[in-house]
Amino acid sequence: MADRSILGLFQEAEPAADAMDGLARAGFEQGTFDVLTGTPYPEGAFGEHVPQHRLFRFPAFGAIIGFTTAILLTAGTQIAFPLVTGGKPILSLFAMIIIMYEMTMLAAVIATVIGIIFESRLPNMNPGAYDERITEGWIGVVVSVESTRAQEAESVLKTAGALEIKHAS
Amino acid sequence: MATNSAIAGDTAAPEDHGSHGEEIAGHVVLLPAQVKNTLVDSTSAGSSRFMRWAIALSVLSVIGIVGLVLKFLAHSDDQTKWGYTAAVAAFLLTVGGGAPLVAVAPVLAKANWVRPLTRIASAFSLIGVVTMIVMIPLVAVLPPLVTEGARRRSIWFESPDWTPHTFIFLAMFTLLLAGLGLFYTTALPDFAAMRDHSSGWRQRMGKMLARGWVGSTVQWRTLRMRIGMFGTFYFLILIYVHFLFTSDFAMGVVPGWRDAIFPMYHAMSSIQAGVAITILAAWAGRRYLGLQDYLRLDQFWSLGRLLFASSLLWIYFFFSAFIVFWYGRSLADIAWVDLFIRGPMIWAFIPGMLMSFVVPWWWLIWNRIRTSVDGPAIGAVIVLFGLLLDRMRIYVSSWSVPPEEIHDRYLKHIPETVWPDAFDYMIIVGTTAAAALVVALAFRLVPIVSIWQTQEYQLLSKPVRYIRGHGVLVAKPD
Repeated sequence: MADRSILGLFQEAEPAADAMDGLARAGFEQGTFDVLTGTPYPEGAFGEHVPQHRLFRFPAFGAIIGFTTAILLTAGTQIAFPLVTGGKPILSLFAMIIIMYEMTMLAAVIATVIGIIFESRLPNMNPGAYDERITEGWIGVVVSVESTRAQEAESVLKTAGALEIKHAS
Repeated sequence: MATNSAIAGDTAAPEDHGSHGEEIAGHVVLLPAQVKNTLVDSTSAGSSRFMRWAIALSVLSVIGIVGLVLKFLAHSDDQTKWGYTAAVAAFLLTVGGGAPLVAVAPVLAKANWVRPLTRIASAFSLIGVVTMIVMIPLVAVLPPLVTEGARRRSIWFESPDWTPHTFIFLAMFTLLLAGLGLFYTTALPDFAAMRDHSSGWRQRMGKMLARGWVGSTVQWRTLRMRIGMFGTFYFLILIYVHFLFTSDFAMGVVPGWRDAIFPMYHAMSSIQAGVAITILAAWAGRRYLGLQDYLRLDQFWSLGRLLFASSLLWIYFFFSAFIVFWYGRSLADIAWVDLFIRGPMIWAFIPGMLMSFVVPWWWLIWNRIRTSVDGPAIGAVIVLFGLLLDRMRIYVSSWSVPPEEIHDRYLKHIPETVWPDAFDYMIIVGTTAAAALVVALAFRLVPIVSIWQTQEYQLLSKPVRYIRGHGVLVAKPD
């Protein structure tokens, strides 16, 4: 169980990528180390592990709920109060589409907002080791390790050229 | 990783060279720390001047709210008095609704010039708060679908009486939510920068809103996906809101007005207004916040072209609708022409058309105007005034129809010109000021130009020699 967070700070991208490679070679498990940047580098630029995302599930789930609710509302209303209008069927799809579209979109947007909280790991109550210089262009390589391997992780970061090492528990 | 080169050539105007960054072959190279410092500082730049403006806008906003309340107390039983309020709500929806599309569409097309503008454009979605406040009395005075046993023609067919009232409000709320989601998502890394590098209340707000953002791989990945999702949702909802708004607040209250093009005309002019207000805000940011290195000629030139194109679309959509009524010659068609073109609001129609199409077309057609900073800004001001007049023409005319006639097959009597009363002036000025205040306050909280997107552009571009000229090589990650 990882109980320590070690951050190596770099000013250039190349040594940070070397640190990521070094950690992988040293046997640290994928997902236990990551790169922190203030700018979105192209995915895979540091050789980092890119986890599978499930982002589409939230809006899709919300859309299904909204769509189903809209069908129940519109169909239920028309069946409960059956009025023939212009010779059209009681369940007139074109009249229902307006409400179905709106409720589908509303539920999808609400679910997307909820999804941000889960998928972005926000709020991040325990962000681990961090440095404010990351938002001004420095690059951080953060490793979550057990105390027994802390020295080894620190050594890999220093070998790659980390300008500074920070610890957090 | 695919690459794309943009040739700068001789595009940089002389006025654009007073940069603070290092300039290599016409391309200003800004260091990440320099970007962060300048943009974080821009949130507190000119504090005393901002304070004076904020106080003035706040006072006007209060006047606008008071005007809304007083008007509701005085005229809640007379729909014909609410045309100017409907017009200003439509104008706010037109402007505030359209601007975020500037942050969405070019980004999805991987345009790099738009990066410094995405914050400005997405912040205008906050105007939705003001639009919804204006909508409250409007929805209250909008007649139900059935009055005195007669059902008016609408998109709601046999729905319950208060369906339009419910769903227009719900649609506006959905649009606001999507807009806020887009704004917040794109601002999240900058809230972290404010947390790390500002002080006082800005730092506290940054800490609260950054929600522990550290810039991990997962966070960046989800951020990109969220921007795409909210952008797509926003576009889909905006078109729908324009459809509902025009159907319920314009066509639904004028007997015999059936026009399939009008909702699209309304939505298209919203894009025109969105481009115009983005140009204007960028011009103000450049002039008053000293952001010449960030809001450069390239941005104004690109937006100027979009404004020119959207002004041409204005006349295309207008004429496509107009020609049907003009040649239709049924009693309903004649009534439409009499009401909206040569009737009581001709004073708004002629200058509105001139300022929405004729003048911006003539102004922006010149290369020298488009390839300047001030030229597109002047065009933007003209377009915004034109669209305000256009909205008055549409909504004041529509709402001037007496409620007892809205169930007829066509409009038999063209109402007299309705001039704005004191409440209307209060509402027009006050709500516009409130909209400006909301956006201005947002730019005190988070920089007007996105820090992370500017840094991303710097990261992905570099100046290169190109034969005997020079260009900017821009990487576009897949």
